[in-house]
Amino acid sequence: MEEEVIKIRELCCTYNTHIALEKVNLDVKKGEFIAVMGPNGGGKTTLLRAIAGMIKPLKGYVKVKGNISYMPQRENINFRIPVKVKDVVMMSIISKTKKFSIVSKIKNEEINSVYWALKVVDMDDYMNKPFTELSGGQQQRVLLARAIATNPDILLLDEPFNGVDLPTQEKIIKILKDLSKKGTTIITVVHNVSPLIHYISRIALLNKKLVAYGKPEEVLTPENTTKVYGIPIPTSVCEEGYIHPLFGDIHG
Amino acid sequence: MKKMLPPFIIRAVIAVFIISLNAAITGTFTVFRNVSFLVAGTAHAALAGAALAIVLEEFGFNMPILVGGIIFAVFAAVIASYASGRGKVGKQEDTNTAIAISFALSMSLAVLFISMVREYAARVWGLLIGDLFLLSYSDLKAMLIATLFVIFVTILFYRVFLYISFDVEAAIASGIKVDIYDYLLLSTIAISVVVIMGGVGAILVFAMFVAPSAIATRFSNSISRVFLLSFLISFASGLLGIALSFILPFSPGAIAGVVVSSTYFISAFVKR
Repeated sequence: MEEEVIKIRELCCTYNTHIALEKVNLDVKKGEFIAVMGPNGGGKTTLLRAIAGMIKPLKGYVKVKGNISYMPQRENINFRIPVKVKDVVMMSIISKTKKFSIVSKIKNEEINSVYWALKVVDMDDYMNKPFTELSGGQQQRVLLARAIATNPDILLLDEPFNGVDLPTQEKIIKILKDLSKKGTTIITVVHNVSPLIHYISRIALLNKKLVAYGKPEEVLTPENTTKVYGIPIPTSVCEEGYIHPLFGDIHG
Repeated sequence: MKKMLPPFIIRAVIAVFIISLNAAITGTFTVFRNVSFLVAGTAHAALAGAALAIVLEEFGFNMPILVGGIIFAVFAAVIASYASGRGKVGKQEDTNTAIAISFALSMSLAVLFISMVREYAARVWGLLIGDLFLLSYSDLKAMLIATLFVIFVTILFYRVFLYISFDVEAAIASGIKVDIYDYLLLSTIAISVVVIMGGVGAILVFAMFVAPSAIATRFSNSISRVFLLSFLISFASGLLGIALSFILPFSPGAIAGVVVSSTYFISAFVKR
């Protein structure tokens, strides 16, 4: 039996007086590829933050085995700062090695990790460009490179396809598929799960409470989607036998 | 025979150089961390500290006015950062609101303290007023020490300051104690503001700590260029202020302030 790398029990999280998550129980096995779906304000980002240890639960607990890397939403970035692409990726390395001083020597292997990560996302040609001058899709790939540069056991992604075009989406999916095959556990928040459906092992359907958690065909039922979005999401089955929702979830 | 410049001009030029270093380093992080209002907030918080130092003097406890000013400015910066929850995920509030309230608190305390030592009120307000041409060597020494401190802290924590300024959420996720580094960065800015203000006055500090970096950020595609441009804009404005003050009957600090602030607004039109 595969080892559990994330174990969540009775997790409750709040922001001031607002309840973000209520009694969530969830297990993730090593190497699993999980998609988290739910409406805006449904607690998807909070779940990732709780797994990453960024917020303290009000009740319950999260147990994690292995090192985590988190790719937050791009909208939180300060776009006034003209940081070079390679320096953005280097940020994850310096936070791991605690080389905060400008005079701390960066080892060759650390520089190579940056090159490797940028090559994986096909952005190595843009290494010396300012991050702020890239397109949305390119920025998303650089942020993914930053998240994988430290070679994490668990990768958490918050809406990695937000604001990216279809070719970039395909590129990101291929990278995630390869990482998942190599044993990286991936949990990603998505609004439209359809492009990922062939590769994910389970879907977590979240609306403050965990409404459903399991294989896509078990989760994407009219009852479950009605509970979360208020209306059923129609589905179809592709030639390869995978269930596809016919549109992404509903926001706001 | 070469005609030597009068010492007060040499001191003014050295001061402009020191201010420009601060404008480039502290000013840039002030703009990057979105805490421009902190410059005005800490400057006024320093008044309360200066007033308290004078009150304590009455009771036989001697503390230099500048030290009192620094303590209060650092306190105001840290309390504003803490209250706005800048280092916590999902709890951030508008930092400027917290700075404004800490500004109000320190000004109220300043008025309370000043009312206890009315006859020395001028010494307290003196912290806000300074002139490039009235600088003494001890003023320059204090400014230089504060600047060396700023450079030292920035060298030690440059990468983490940049990370928390660029992507605070990712920094928290990667295990960086963002609140602690935010306190350190804001305290460094506060110390730099108070010491430079003690020498050259509030107007020049307000103008030089925000405008050059704000202009430089608009026209730079690398961080090193932001630092360099901020320094050059600040230094050129300062020198222009000194030069024009010989022709015009105005203080060099006020002229430099007008030059650099106008450049900011002109740059907004150019870049639009």
